[in-house]
Amino acid sequence: MSLAVTGLATTRPRRRLARPVLIASGLMLLLVGLAIAHLGFGARAIAPEVVVRALIAFDADSFDHNVIVELRLLRLLAALVVGAGLGLTGALIQSVTRNPLGEPHVLGLNAGAALAVVTTLTLSSFLGPVLPAPALAAGRPLVAGLGAILLCAAVLGVAALGRTGMTPLKVTLCGVAFSAFAAALTSAQLLLDDQTLATVRLWLAGDLSGLSYGALWAALPPAMAGLALALVLAGRLDALAMGDQMAAGLGIHVARTRLMALVAAGLLCGAAVSLAGPIGFVGLVVPHVVKALGVRDMRVVLPLSALAGAALLVAADLAARSLFAPRELATGIVTALVGVPVFIALAARRRP
Amino acid sequence: MRTVARAAGYRRFSAGPVSLRLRPRAAGVAAALVALICAGAAFALASGSLPIPLRAVMAALLGGDVPPEVAHVITGVRLPRVVLALIAGAMLGLSGAALQALTRNGLADPGLVGVKEGASLAVLVLILAFPALGAAWRLPVGMAGGLAVALAVVLIARDLSGVRFVLVGIGVSWLLASALLVFITTADINDVETALVWLAGSLHAAEWTLIPALAVWGALGAGALFATARAADVALLGDAAATGLGVRLQRTGLFGLAAPVLMTAAAVSCVGSLGFVGLIAPHMARLVVGGGQAAVLAASGLLGAALVLVADTAGRLLFAPLQIPAGIVMTLAGVPLFLFLLWRRRDQI
Repeated sequence: MSLAVTGLATTRPRRRLARPVLIASGLMLLLVGLAIAHLGFGARAIAPEVVVRALIAFDADSFDHNVIVELRLLRLLAALVVGAGLGLTGALIQSVTRNPLGEPHVLGLNAGAALAVVTTLTLSSFLGPVLPAPALAAGRPLVAGLGAILLCAAVLGVAALGRTGMTPLKVTLCGVAFSAFAAALTSAQLLLDDQTLATVRLWLAGDLSGLSYGALWAALPPAMAGLALALVLAGRLDALAMGDQMAAGLGIHVARTRLMALVAAGLLCGAAVSLAGPIGFVGLVVPHVVKALGVRDMRVVLPLSALAGAALLVAADLAARSLFAPRELATGIVTALVGVPVFIALAARRRP
Repeated sequence: MRTVARAAGYRRFSAGPVSLRLRPRAAGVAAALVALICAGAAFALASGSLPIPLRAVMAALLGGDVPPEVAHVITGVRLPRVVLALIAGAMLGLSGAALQALTRNGLADPGLVGVKEGASLAVLVLILAFPALGAAWRLPVGMAGGLAVALAVVLIARDLSGVRFVLVGIGVSWLLASALLVFITTADINDVETALVWLAGSLHAAEWTLIPALAVWGALGAGALFATARAADVALLGDAAATGLGVRLQRTGLFGLAAPVLMTAAAVSCVGSLGFVGLIAPHMARLVVGGGQAAVLAASGLLGAALVLVADTAGRLLFAPLQIPAGIVMTLAGVPLFLFLLWRRRDQI
């Protein structure tokens, strides 16, 4: 008896730690494999061992090494940042709103970001340059993030009205309505102004091509700030999951925690949207996958969501480029084709 | 029974062997709506890049003596557009009213639950894969696509009246929208331009060719809905009570689902993606007439026609010479109303 008790006492903490470590290392392995495949794929296929050698022992004379480091690495890095950001955003939003269908696309973050970016471009092309072009490019994460946060706040604000609070149906319907409105305004502007359409057409479909290192560096600070804020909040989010009153009893400022988590989500999503345009449904799928692996603790869920999101987006980007090669799909289409069936399955499982 | 009907505003009108129970108030509202639509249509016919005085419009319509270019602008360009807007709008309004009654859900709209995207996808496949087939094929193909999607949504949700139906429908419409994007990004650019013009929900490509077939389908659907209107009224009392009162629920349900879905798909196949009409028209109809399903259907059809006509004319004239597709105008006007409806239900859903 006492043996069994001590056995439990010694194995339990180890098991609790062992599982996340196991999942994390599995995800890391998957991510590294996908990254090597991602770097090797293209008009000129490059063997995996050459890819690895280009990264750890760069040879300036080798053509393949130059292709990988100069041309393809940027896209991979952007995919990693975008995927991790979207995965984290989804985990944060689902936890804060206690809504399993919560997701940047559903909440209107993407439509808001698109509207904000297109509106600044239209204004600058009609009223003359409001800002010089480099400042406009560098400010895109900020503009996109602001638009995303504003529209998301409108969706959540309207959905929170009424005695029943933010039910998944209300949040989804508000998200659909506000997104449709923003999308109509966006496409009206694009119809009236061909020049803006030419500039943002690719970005609007949710695509990772045509990036620059400048955009990547501009997106990193908000992403890092969002990540740090999310990790700081993780413990409080766990308490929040037990219910508002329980969390308040544990000494947690409920409204402030919610608001800060949404700010973190907005920063992360803004950074992701500024790089890749409106890519949907990564944030929906990833937290569910992580939870299906048996992880509940937000301090573990958040890092794992970042890893899984990055892996999913790298895989989606690879699929987008290879499925209809030599034509490329937009990355956002592939993530939608993967993610929407998950949304439908989750919606169909609900009680009527 | 007779006094109850009388108190609810119904009056009996008989002419020889035919006797009809009507509500004068509903008939008056309908007449006012028809007058409004006629005025709107006359305005839409008269205005544009070539302004034509109303007298010349009337003369061109009645075959009077007008210059040939005026006759062409009226009967060849503006009239088909107005007629198509009215028919498509009426069909969308009717289908919204029928589906909201069937699902007992004021937020149900065939356009919201994927029928629009299903019809669009089917027509797009037709345009891209079989460019040789004429525009006449768009109607049956789009209707088949819309019906297939509606059946899929019903099968997945297993329930018409609940939260699941709307949520699953929204999900299915997203899935189809991304499938549409696959076609748009991979197909030949010339085909894509043809498809995009049609997808934007614009009526500016209106021609006479599609109108007769659309009108036939609209009339069939409207006939089925009006024939089952009383049964739909009784079905609102609940399944058990309705069965007890002699309503064949399965038949009512079949017509109540198939007719709106087919009508929406047919309208979308002809005019492209036009949202929010089927959602808003029935609520406006209940506001102005209320009462039985037959009156709501009639008012909703008329209001739908008026809404699409106004949206199309506004999109055509506001930023002339640029044309804003009617679908965009309809969304900008429809979303605030949708949010208002949501706000009214804030404690229930």
